Amino acid sequence: MGTARRLILVLIVLIALASSTAYYATQMSLRDGAVRERVMGWLAVGLMSSVCALVLIVIWRSLGKTVQIVRHQLLTLEGSGEVGLIMVDSHDELGQMVQEFNRYLTRIKSRIEQLKLQKRELDIQIRVADAEKRHTEAIIFSISDAVLVTDSFDELVLANESAERTFGFTMSRMYRQPMARIINDSEFVKLVTDTRSENTERRRRVVEYSRQVAGEKRTFNVTLSGVMDAKGECNGVVAVLHDVTREKEVAAMKTDFVSNVSHELRTPLSSIKAYVEMLVDGEAEDETTRREFYDIIQNETDRLGRLIDNILNISRIESGVVKIHKEPLALTSVIKDALEVARPQAVAKRIQLVDELTPVFYQVLADRDMIYQAILNLLSNAIKYTPDGGRVTIRTVVDEGKKTVRTEIKDTGVGIPPEDMPRLFEKFYRVESSKKMAKGTGLGLSLVKHIVETVHAGEVGVFSKVGQGSTFYFQVKLAD
Amino acid sequence: MSKKILVVDDEAHILHVVSLKLRNAGFGVLTAADGEEALEVMNSDRPDLLITDYHMPVMNGVELCCRMRENDAIKDIPAIMLTARGYALEPEDMQRTGIRAVLSKPFSPRELLATVREIFGLAEAASPDEAVA
Repeated sequence: MGTARRLILVLIVLIALASSTAYYATQMSLRDGAVRERVMGWLAVGLMSSVCALVLIVIWRSLGKTVQIVRHQLLTLEGSGEVGLIMVDSHDELGQMVQEFNRYLTRIKSRIEQLKLQKRELDIQIRVADAEKRHTEAIIFSISDAVLVTDSFDELVLANESAERTFGFTMSRMYRQPMARIINDSEFVKLVTDTRSENTERRRRVVEYSRQVAGEKRTFNVTLSGVMDAKGECNGVVAVLHDVTREKEVAAMKTDFVSNVSHELRTPLSSIKAYVEMLVDGEAEDETTRREFYDIIQNETDRLGRLIDNILNISRIESGVVKIHKEPLALTSVIKDALEVARPQAVAKRIQLVDELTPVFYQVLADRDMIYQAILNLLSNAIKYTPDGGRVTIRTVVDEGKKTVRTEIKDTGVGIPPEDMPRLFEKFYRVESSKKMAKGTGLGLSLVKHIVETVHAGEVGVFSKVGQGSTFYFQVKLAD
Repeated sequence: MSKKILVVDDEAHILHVVSLKLRNAGFGVLTAADGEEALEVMNSDRPDLLITDYHMPVMNGVELCCRMRENDAIKDIPAIMLTARGYALEPEDMQRTGIRAVLSKPFSPRELLATVREIFGLAEAASPDEAVA
């Protein structure tokens, strides 16, 4: 039952009591003395009023207590920052109100829980997106190709380190700067802006593009793709620059190589064919001429064989299938053999072939055929690139401390330009300025390097000055 | 009077064998090891035919023929080119350089001789070869 109803009930009872008392007192006052009855009446009224007041106070206090409990709980909840229910042990109107209030709170509480869950999901999504973004950036940054991304205003929004190097700028300073301000090449800027403005074309396109990077001309295959939004509008461009300079050089070198090898093979073959035909046709009349022809055929056949060996050895060493037979051998004797083979070549050009070999026959642990090949290639090169009447010197230097022997081949030849030095020992590489001086396959030095460094764990190198000559050397360990 | 032929090649063996083949056939033979030397020889002793290798130091066979065409005294000398590069000449190039025939190395001295005779318009029967023999 509600407090208010109880209050009304109590009031009705009290009013009824007070009225009946007053009525009884009035009846009494008519029969007995007026004063006594009046006092009795007032006494009854006073009593009733006191009881009334008492009941009111009791009700008021009980109400105040419930409100107090509610207030206290609210304060505690506020302090805890939680949404909780209010516990009231009362079933009156206040209790009902609190219950309604609690139902409302429960709804809020579940809504808050729901929001919290959504927030956690969003947090996770943000973290995942963030990680993905960093991941994507890391991928872009680790790509050796230069990557540039622009927005719909042709402003730079992303560039990796390679792009910074290629175009010479710092991303942190150029973020959202117009492309035209960053890249001092209208051709490239136009490629990007055209890709964006062409808009309709979704297909990526690849164009060849060249520019100077660190003083060197580099050629790139540029892949340009428009970044399309949901409406099919182009709102940016991704440009990826793949450096193909080296690939192009290698391709050119290979073409050169095929042509060189074919030429080198055909030259001795021409002699063999011609001299054989002369013999068959009986054009060599006397025995001396015939003998001369036989010698030429034999020498040219050997030359052809050596050439094929050179080509095969390189590919064998590179693929690791070559059989290596190392034995202790006297380097000096190998050098002497190579000198004898190279001498006719030197004599033909009136080149003085000098040896300054150590008198002691130092032993090295080496594959005789290979070391011989390396020495012969170096001697043959020295003679080839030294003008007529020059001088080629071969000497050995022993380092007792390091237990190594160094073989040096010095010429008074044309020398090697500094820019060619780093690539001298590369397969197929030929010094441009010396191509006219002598023929070759670009294999000789590459083979020397393989023989000395790959097979014998030695070291090969060169000093050179254009117009003064070159000194090639290789160094191998002495045998124990 | 026998025809004079200049043979140019940086390979001594080829010079030797071609010279011998031509001499045996009754031609007069001059030799040079590179283009520079060939031009000198041509200027001092005009040959009737030039046989040149393509790939040589200093200048290649085509360059040699072009240089030859710049000089009025020797510009009409016909040429045969030997090449180890499978080098093919366009008709315009042949016109421009005066090269009449291209023989691929390895070549047959027999074929070379036949080409030489063809250029000189010599019938097999009336060849200087027969005359000498």
